[in-house]
Amino acid sequence: MRCSESQDPADPSPMLQMQGICKRYGAVRANENINFSVTRGQIVGLLGENGSGKSTLMKILFGMVRPDGGTIRFKGQALSGHTPRDAIRAGIAMIHQHFMLVDAMTVAENVMLGWKKAGAWLHDRQVAEQIRSTSQEYGLDLDPDAMVGDLPFGKRQRLEIVKALLRGAELLVLDEPTSNLSPPEVTALLAVMRRIAGDSRSIIFITHKLAEVFRVCQEVTVLRDGKNAGRCSTEGTTRAELARMMVGREFGLATPRVEMGSGAEVLEVTTITLKDSSGLKLLDEITFSVREGEILALAGVDGNGQTELVEVLAGLQAASSGRIALHGRDLTKTDVTQRLRAGLAYIPVDRATTSLVPGMTIAENLGLRDFAEPPLRRGLRLNHPAFYSRAVSRISEFGIRADGPGATVDTLSGGNQQKIVVAREIGRKPRVLIAFQATWGLDPGATRFVIDQILALRNSGGAVLYLSSDLEELLGIGDRIGVIANGRLVGIVPREKANPAEIGLLMAGGGLLPAALEINEDLG
Amino acid sequence: MPSLAPLPSGPGPSGQVPTTSRGAAFRGLFSAAIAVLLAFAIAGILILVSGKNPFVAYWALLRGAFGSTDSVTFALNKSTPYILAGVGVAICFRARVINIGSEGQIAVGGVAASWIALNVPDLPSAVLVPLATIGGALAGAAWASIAALMRLKRGVHEVLGTLLSNFVGVLLVSEVLHGSMGEPGAGFPQSPLFPQGAWLQPLFEGSDLHAGILLAVLAVVACHLLLWHTPLGFRIRLLGSSDRAAAYAGVSVARTVLSVMLLAGALSGIAGAVEVLGVHFRLIQGFSQGFGFNAVAVALLAALNPVAVLPAGLFFGFLEAGALAMQREVGVQSSLVYVIQGLTMVFVLCALAINSKQQRV
Amino acid sequence: MDYNVLAELLAATVRVAAPLIFVALGAVLSESAGTFAVGVEGMMLMGAFSGAVLTFVTKSWAFGLLGSAMSGAALALIVAIATARFRTDHMVTGLSVNILALGLTSYLLRGLFGGKTPVINLPTLDAIQIPWLCNLPLIGRALFEQSLLTYAAFFLVIPMHLFLKKTQTGLMLRAVGENPAAAFSAGTDPIRVRAVAIIVCGAFAGLGGAVLSLQELGTFTDGMTNGRGFIALAAVIIGRWQPLFVMLGCLLFGAASALAFNLQGWSLPISSYVIQMTPYLLALAVLCGIGRRARMPAAIGRSFTRN
Repeated sequence: MRCSESQDPADPSPMLQMQGICKRYGAVRANENINFSVTRGQIVGLLGENGSGKSTLMKILFGMVRPDGGTIRFKGQALSGHTPRDAIRAGIAMIHQHFMLVDAMTVAENVMLGWKKAGAWLHDRQVAEQIRSTSQEYGLDLDPDAMVGDLPFGKRQRLEIVKALLRGAELLVLDEPTSNLSPPEVTALLAVMRRIAGDSRSIIFITHKLAEVFRVCQEVTVLRDGKNAGRCSTEGTTRAELARMMVGREFGLATPRVEMGSGAEVLEVTTITLKDSSGLKLLDEITFSVREGEILALAGVDGNGQTELVEVLAGLQAASSGRIALHGRDLTKTDVTQRLRAGLAYIPVDRATTSLVPGMTIAENLGLRDFAEPPLRRGLRLNHPAFYSRAVSRISEFGIRADGPGATVDTLSGGNQQKIVVAREIGRKPRVLIAFQATWGLDPGATRFVIDQILALRNSGGAVLYLSSDLEELLGIGDRIGVIANGRLVGIVPREKANPAEIGLLMAGGGLLPAALEINEDLG
Repeated sequence: MPSLAPLPSGPGPSGQVPTTSRGAAFRGLFSAAIAVLLAFAIAGILILVSGKNPFVAYWALLRGAFGSTDSVTFALNKSTPYILAGVGVAICFRARVINIGSEGQIAVGGVAASWIALNVPDLPSAVLVPLATIGGALAGAAWASIAALMRLKRGVHEVLGTLLSNFVGVLLVSEVLHGSMGEPGAGFPQSPLFPQGAWLQPLFEGSDLHAGILLAVLAVVACHLLLWHTPLGFRIRLLGSSDRAAAYAGVSVARTVLSVMLLAGALSGIAGAVEVLGVHFRLIQGFSQGFGFNAVAVALLAALNPVAVLPAGLFFGFLEAGALAMQREVGVQSSLVYVIQGLTMVFVLCALAINSKQQRV
Repeated sequence: MDYNVLAELLAATVRVAAPLIFVALGAVLSESAGTFAVGVEGMMLMGAFSGAVLTFVTKSWAFGLLGSAMSGAALALIVAIATARFRTDHMVTGLSVNILALGLTSYLLRGLFGGKTPVINLPTLDAIQIPWLCNLPLIGRALFEQSLLTYAAFFLVIPMHLFLKKTQTGLMLRAVGENPAAAFSAGTDPIRVRAVAIIVCGAFAGLGGAVLSLQELGTFTDGMTNGRGFIALAAVIIGRWQPLFVMLGCLLFGAASALAFNLQGWSLPISSYVIQMTPYLLALAVLCGIGRRARMPAAIGRSFTRN
């Protein structure tokens, strides 16, 4: 066996050694006896799906979360009970996905912010010089006088790296650093990472993207369900093997599926493109259709255009070009309410500020989207009895556990909150349902409930577009599986032909379609 | 924009209507009472500093407010504009539109009502009074719409827009009184006395209590119904809780912002009309002085609940009426009322913020 | 226009702008750190009151100025506790302390002097002529024949600019107003920074009030600031929170007021009340003109919580 299932401390004195790390949140074991180590001068890949325990492990390392058990040794010193500040002082830097930068300041100002060596009266010239020399040394190409708000994502990331380097970091943790970068930017970043490692510093590279792991990492550790799933050197393994380690072997939920014949096309999306204010394409000519009684499951790493796609479909953002039709009727120019009336339901990812109003009652939240339509409106007035009777029937129908229709939503558990959203959107028997990460943050029971409801809608002839980054869930639910990467739909295959490792590769955004994948005709 | 306050949801205890827990309502009342008591305590220290006995002063205040039919009448008339303007502000704040332009809206409402009263004096009273009041409402709404449009079209924060237009509105009163509408040779900037047909009739024979208080109660009931029983009220509450949720529910931000500003402007305009038609029977320079702040204070003291605006407005009216008596009898300056009001507001804001933190947990 | 009138107009512009500059610089501090400075109107009033009363009682300008700064800061302390600690709404909190200041100054004016409104008449500060330069044509009187506090207001602009741009503390303060989370991760406590900024803002606004009561009018009357605090806020927006530009904004409003004041003496067919509206109308017009281009500090008005 080329990869060990747990851990094999071949290196006698690693720079970082985390052993037996455990962390529980309630009933969830986020980290269960995890071992992880980093050798000086190496780039170590940390792989795993969402919820596999990567971020918890890194938060523990950085002192943001206290572990329940386990030990950490860094440069021969024990680290325990430390704060982020202690971690920084020890020489660990964490570069989050959300940068800690001030947009309205220059690069140099951001570097100087809170940095003692910049002086009480700022030595801006010297700092600018240091930024120039450091960024030259590592090939970062940063202008100290540039305004951070004007910089593209990739440059901001470099700024975070320069901040870490100037403050003397020896171990850099990069959290999904390539997820928002274009391919040339990725190549450049990987080169920078190699140089940093060549300077006898180390990097922990958190990612989903297997190709990149092989390009820069010497070693890779895979986590799954909060446990070590494997650890190996990149030379001794293959992408397929890593993909299998990441996602596990068991697929398919034991959910009843009725075989549906080939129904009529309900939702037709044709060459939808969305550009941001700078002209960058967030969505690039997306074309697909969903049939009656079908679930089209779109896989993708967060931030590849999913949010934009669902908002364009639901009517919250206007597409720059393209066409959206429902049963042949053009909906491109219609607003949220008109699309709702046409039979389009939408479950957004964010419960706290979008799909629910926590301070309102269950009855009101169930009427959130059609309060101005009969029967919820009668003449000029809201028809409270209708709100109430609808709530009573939905509460029993969908098994929402609550004190009654008058209870405010913020008093409910996450699972029951999502049941309200599902009850509202599916309860109206829509022709098309768009669901975006509908099981996000739910416990297994609630997850199962939501999935079952969506399948039931499909079985009764509804068309469903389901977007998620959870491949396992998508493979269980989808009739056809598609992949969205960098704002483009890169392939759709029927569920029988879906191969998790290959879809994982596609999600990683190489852009090349392996031969095994059948390309949807629409995509050309 | 920051959230203003925890928004208690739901009106009455009826099972069909979304309800708020009695605990929350009680806690709100309790915090308001504590805030008022603290403000009075601190103001008491100020009374001591000026060498007077605060208990004697407060007793005079109490008698001045409730001591006789006349004093109660006076206080009720004083409360009327606060309730009218305050309930409009409460609706605005519910939608997170920080309208502090009541003062200017009251001023132009008063000007419009006065203009109508002076220019078509021969109409029968049953037509003239409603006409002048409606004129005030329209003028107030138009004035408020300026700030609303500046926010929607030009991104000018409504706080600055309404604040600055207050000064213009108040100066407008002076302008017309020194021009076309002034009373020649009066020695004070005021208009001629309105014809009797334009006077707001007293509710009872021989009483000074005018019909404005009925309008105020009506406005409170109407705003309560609007907020809890109409689609627009639902939109207002949605917009107040989250822009994203409002968009998801298909609510137009611009239309809703404009609606609440027009409503609040109209109510303030009515307040201005009632003040000139029912209290002074003429337009007087500075008649709207301080009303704008009181409207905001009343709305917040009521925790943005239309029904609670009624007691909150009465509290402010009686407080000011009593303060005048306190000044007359004990020699404690009535400007102390501003101190009490300002402190009450600060304490109420802090109490609301603490409560909202408790709710969030 | 007459040459002398123009010179006088320029001198008046600078004179009227001086109190606005103090207030606006304070507001720049508070708002750069992320707190709307609506309370400056009240802080200014407190300063005007304490400056006049203390100078009247102690016969000492120094005490008057010290008192005005401290009373402005004291009112600001209330705002700081409410907004930074309890996270109340900045706008409404500011309004509340404005009314509090109006009541307090009016009450104390009478209360402290036994129920009778005292006649406070102070000799206003004499203009200091800078020898030679004050004889320059046109701008000589405007720039080199002003009172001490006017010079001080304009001289403060540069240190304030340097503080915000060139010191670690100034950098941190701006970071708190832009992205408190980033400032927090850079090792500062945003809540404390904001509180201190508000209190210093109060001191500045208080001094601005003192300029008004001690130097311009030589007395105190109820509510004498009459919206000048709000005008200063408009100047801050026009100047985009940059001290040098904010100063120009104050000069613009100074010019409008000076012009309005002068026009009243010219018996024009426009009424004096319309002329008095000019600064407010100008402020509204300029705000509309700037529109959405006014980039506020990104986190202004938003309270900071860890996590």
